Amino acid sequence: MENTALAPHLILAGLLFALGLAGVLVRRNLLVVYMCLELMLAAATLALVAFSRFNRTMDGAVLVFFVITVAAAEVAVGLALIVALYRRRGTVSSERLDVLRP
Amino acid sequence: MSSDLSSLVHWILFLPLGAAALQALLLRRQGAIASWLSVGAAFIGAGLALRILLTSEADVRWHAEIARLGDISLGVGYLVDAHARLMLFVVTFVGALIHLFSVGYMADDDARGRFFAGLSVFMFSILGIVVADNLLMTFVFWELVGFSSYMLIAHYFDRDYAAAASRKAFVVNRVGDLGFILGLAFCLSRFGTLQFEELRALSPAGGWPFALGALLACGFIGKSAQFPLHVWLTDAMAGPTPVSALIHAATMVVAGVYFMARIFFLIDPSLLQIVAVSGAGMAALGGLCALAQTDIKKSLAYSTLAHLGIMACALGLGRPELALLHMAMHAFFKATLFLGAGSVIHGCHHEQDMLRMGGLLRRMPVTAAAFIAASLSNCAVPFLAGWYSKDAIIEAAFRSGRAAEAALLSVAAVATCLYSARMIRLVFLGAPASEEASHAHESPWTMSLPLIVLGLGYSLFGGLLAAAMIPASSLASVAEPLRAMAFHATAPATLVGLAALALGAFALKFYAVEPGRDALRDRLPGLYAALERRWMDGLYRWYVDSVQRRVAELIAFLDLLLVNGLAVRWVAAGVPALLGFLAGRVFHGGQTRAYAAWTAAGVIFIAWILITR
Repeated sequence: MENTALAPHLILAGLLFALGLAGVLVRRNLLVVYMCLELMLAAATLALVAFSRFNRTMDGAVLVFFVITVAAAEVAVGLALIVALYRRRGTVSSERLDVLRP
Repeated sequence: MSSDLSSLVHWILFLPLGAAALQALLLRRQGAIASWLSVGAAFIGAGLALRILLTSEADVRWHAEIARLGDISLGVGYLVDAHARLMLFVVTFVGALIHLFSVGYMADDDARGRFFAGLSVFMFSILGIVVADNLLMTFVFWELVGFSSYMLIAHYFDRDYAAAASRKAFVVNRVGDLGFILGLAFCLSRFGTLQFEELRALSPAGGWPFALGALLACGFIGKSAQFPLHVWLTDAMAGPTPVSALIHAATMVVAGVYFMARIFFLIDPSLLQIVAVSGAGMAALGGLCALAQTDIKKSLAYSTLAHLGIMACALGLGRPELALLHMAMHAFFKATLFLGAGSVIHGCHHEQDMLRMGGLLRRMPVTAAAFIAASLSNCAVPFLAGWYSKDAIIEAAFRSGRAAEAALLSVAAVATCLYSARMIRLVFLGAPASEEASHAHESPWTMSLPLIVLGLGYSLFGGLLAAAMIPASSLASVAEPLRAMAFHATAPATLVGLAALALGAFALKFYAVEPGRDALRDRLPGLYAALERRWMDGLYRWYVDSVQRRVAELIAFLDLLLVNGLAVRWVAAGVPALLGFLAGRVFHGGQTRAYAAWTAAGVIFIAWILITR
């Protein structure tokens, strides 16, 4: 890959990350927030792959497999938590989940 | 030669310290061994000091630098000049005999180990002052002397009056020492050195500053119990009698006079005028107050005050060598008087009231002989020790045309004869006034021997011995008033002295009333009460109670309100409360999105800093 090809990938990764962050901050449904978090993770992964390709090493690409694997496991746990939360509280709106208020 | 002698000085200085360390660490319960250890150290020191006095022509110098701060060198060292040789001998010799006396006097005391350790620490401290070659070392040993004095006055610390007296001595001395240490700072900032020799060589243009001499003299006023800081000395008699003899008569209180003689070159003449008048005034008043004391030791303490006044007056007249000569003579006869008093107190089973004594001449002949000999010397009977110095000072006052000082000193000379006659009459003559006095017994040899040596030997022949011993350089100016007195019977001081002696003989008759009565108190109760009353103590009490305490209470209130309340409590409680309130409102809302937003803002902020740096 040429030098000039790195920038578009990073810009794309940055946009994805910003989109994810905006979603996390703006949305109230925990399920959507969770998807946005995954979007941010994907953005970081994309940047990692881009750098790996740019440096002509396979390290980053290999690492990405691990990240995706762990992320899949984490999604399973996270979705299970959200389901458990819904069962217990009857809602997944982040505004109503404020029991940590001091 | 010089280095050889400086090693002798090492021994003189550190033998007592070693003895004290051994006693404090190992011999607290071994009173008998401890006492003889101290006596041994003191006698060896006296022998070495005598050797220095007899063999050395040149000054002994030794110096070691301890620290250097910029251009300022701080160190320890010895400067043993003619004055120091004399003082060294007087202190060690009188000290050694008083140590020996203490063995007998303190024989049935349980805390002998502590007592003799205190005596040895005192010897170390006072010798440090004597040999010190700079102001800082003098100051350090000055404080050590104050500490050992405090410790020994408080020997009977389980009695209220002794504890109070030691505290009073310590506090009053601190007042004087404050001036001393300010003088040290002033000297260092102005002249950059504390060495006596270097200071002497300076002789700044426009003379020495008045403030320097005045500040350093504050230490002298405190330690030598000069007016207005004299109030501690009479109370200091609460200590054991040997302590009164050694510290509060013979050595420590005259250390101030010695120090003034050492820094004499830098004292402003106008300050000397003040010292002369105040000294002469205290000499007269102290002598008169001694007439109105029934406690034998307090009466002697007022006599010491009078003699300190005479020495101060000699300094003020510009005759430091006369002051030192009187210091030496006074040390011998006043130590004898105190040891005699101690022997009397011991013999009468701890009776100190002179009105309850009487008729002890037959029961305690050795003590009586020494006491009377020392009293005669104190009264300046011609050719006895006191005559050489005291009357020489009076003669010097007459010769320099200082009428006021001469008149006050003449009053002091008369008062000396009066109180000496009163003491002899009340204690040794007449009939016993109490059961204790009629069963009095002579003291053991450890107490009599110092009395014989000091009393008979030095009170009678001290002047002649001193004339032989004092190196010619420092004697030259002493000799002139002496010659005037010895060869001209019409010299003013001779006339005053003879008149005083005649009055003393009259006082012997005046006080010859029935036992247990004081003739002055019976005939002139108003005068007696005025002399007995402690005017300065009353003034200080009023000042402390009414002025100082009020100010202190006001400051304490402000401290409680401003510092303690506003600055500490308010800040300590207020800052966390404010922060907690803000944090609760702004950060800890419980909203996950808010937490995420703050986290993102923080990350962006840090990233922005890292990028733009």
